[in-house]
Amino acid sequence: MATPTQLPPSRHTAFAALKAGLDNAALAAPRPRIESKIPSSVPALDRVLGGGFPTGSLVTLEGPAGRWSIAASLVASVTRRSAAAIVDDGALYPPDLARSGARLERVLVVLAQSSLAIARAADVLVRSKACRLVLVPVPELRAAVWVRLAGLAHRTGILLVAVAPPHAPSALIAPLAAAAALRLYCTRGRLEIVGKRGVWCTIGGYDVCAEIRKNRNAATEQRAVARAAVC
Amino acid sequence: MQLPNNGRSHVLLCVSASAEIPSWEELLDALDAVSPLVDDARPGLAFADMRGSPGTPAEWMQRTREAIAPFVLDARLGIGSNKTCARTASHLGDGTICPAGSERSFLAPLSLALLEIDPKALERLRLLGVERIGDLARLPHGPFVRRFGPQAARWHACACGRDPAPFVPRGHCVAIEASMFGEGRTDDEAQVIFALRVLLSRICADLERCGKRAGSLQLDVELEDAGTQNFDVVLASPTGRERDMLDVVRAKLEGVRFEAPIVGLRVRAARLEEGGEKVALFAGGDFDPQAIAVAISRLEAMLGEPVRQARTRSAHVLEERFVYDRYVPPKREPIHEERSQTVCDTLIPQLRLMSVTEIGVRVRNGEPAAVTSDAKPPRAVVECSGPWRVEIGWFSDAYVVRDEYDVLLDDGELCRIYRQGAQWYLRGSYD
Repeated sequence: MATPTQLPPSRHTAFAALKAGLDNAALAAPRPRIESKIPSSVPALDRVLGGGFPTGSLVTLEGPAGRWSIAASLVASVTRRSAAAIVDDGALYPPDLARSGARLERVLVVLAQSSLAIARAADVLVRSKACRLVLVPVPELRAAVWVRLAGLAHRTGILLVAVAPPHAPSALIAPLAAAAALRLYCTRGRLEIVGKRGVWCTIGGYDVCAEIRKNRNAATEQRAVARAAVC
Repeated sequence: MQLPNNGRSHVLLCVSASAEIPSWEELLDALDAVSPLVDDARPGLAFADMRGSPGTPAEWMQRTREAIAPFVLDARLGIGSNKTCARTASHLGDGTICPAGSERSFLAPLSLALLEIDPKALERLRLLGVERIGDLARLPHGPFVRRFGPQAARWHACACGRDPAPFVPRGHCVAIEASMFGEGRTDDEAQVIFALRVLLSRICADLERCGKRAGSLQLDVELEDAGTQNFDVVLASPTGRERDMLDVVRAKLEGVRFEAPIVGLRVRAARLEEGGEKVALFAGGDFDPQAIAVAISRLEAMLGEPVRQARTRSAHVLEERFVYDRYVPPKREPIHEERSQTVCDTLIPQLRLMSVTEIGVRVRNGEPAAVTSDAKPPRAVVECSGPWRVEIGWFSDAYVVRDEYDVLLDDGELCRIYRQGAQWYLRGSYD
């Protein structure tokens, strides 16, 4: 078989041109994309976050309302292809989680009440790389523990989301805030009431406003308004 | 008497007994002493391939009778070169042998019913005057098959002394286990893990040799004080990989305390499955049941609580609309199914359950107007929807009536409250 160097000059030129063309095509071809963001499935929020929540980081959801709605949409997005874990302090209401599109058979629910149990469960879940998303309620932990968990999430590529209680004191948030790569502050906006008062009246939905308080990868102080519909 | 053995064809010993033998599997195991190749045709009918076995047919039958005596007393034995001949021989009389080369003449005078032809076809053949196997063998093959269908080809071949049914030896129960005893004692975790790794590598080598995968492992730990601890280690999906097994076993042992040093270990592979393990290409971020099984074992060992999986169900009462089961990782599914799933692009408010607490509610015009709880100052109700009446257990003593409301309070909290009897309760808040 003839090698390129043994080819006649005209064919050698043609071969070189073909090779150059192939190289250019290879450079231009889309490379396999490593998913570095988990979209929340809420366009307004994803737009502000530059495509979604960054994997391999610690994210906090704070504020008085809307945190678990956003968390549930994240679970729904992740469980399409992978698994998610929720460290539950007993407040989870699975029917609403299912309504948001989450596949419950792919959601591990780990019951943990104490701060230590929550931290240990988060540690095992992040370290095991079994689930792409781990949701934890914010327990009272030292800053060093949050830094360690954030480091673990970074090494394993897992998205660790800490959901703070409403009106959480700054003493609870401060240790977490330093380690978090993204902080979202969620509030409830306009409430829509359908029907008159009483038995014919239902709450049709409300707006959830998410304000970025910290983002290591992009500019902060952006706001997104997403609609939460009850029915 | 000439044996049905020309070096190539089978010599089948048929054991025919009642179909209601309770210990049929044990009888088949006992037949292994007669021949290593046993075909379990159906309960009450088995064939043993005697080709190459030492001894005479009389000795084979004697050995067989001795082997099966504990299980059945009225079994009939017969020998033939194929299943039909051997079975027919056993039917004619215990110990009958169908001579090789004369199968057709051996079968010819016998009743057609011995060929196990379906009753309708048998009746039609009788009406046509075909009553003996020899009559059927004399019919021209082509027209007979055209008239009676494809299955008639087999009947005709059997009538001619050629049974196309293959001899299928039954699989033997494989026990794969590895153990380590009497090599000292240890209370060091690292040594135990090392020993487990050695045992698991042996198990995996045996599994690979047999072409099988294990769905679970049974680990027996023997202690110096003569106590034992047994662990049933369930693998998420059957595997033959040592690394996966070791991960799950390690996770299972985390947090376990032994009362005395360990002196012995035994690992047994269970729930064996045939074949290799399916792997998905290009599935880096996909659902991995094995990794989840490891995480579950580790969490359960650490927290002492089972990892749960929620399941929704129809119910009137809020609390009964879901149940928790022990988490079982689902099997990996094709990706295209999951991509076809759609997720709604709006947020769904999530009700966060609270421990049910009694609250004070001031009612105006039949609706909640203000809510008072121990933890917070009184809050006015800005918006209210409801009531939704829930009645359960009206047919029993546990009759419950409650009126549920969603109320928006002046501090922005959206709550689910209910009235049961004269009392008001806070059930949860929307987030």
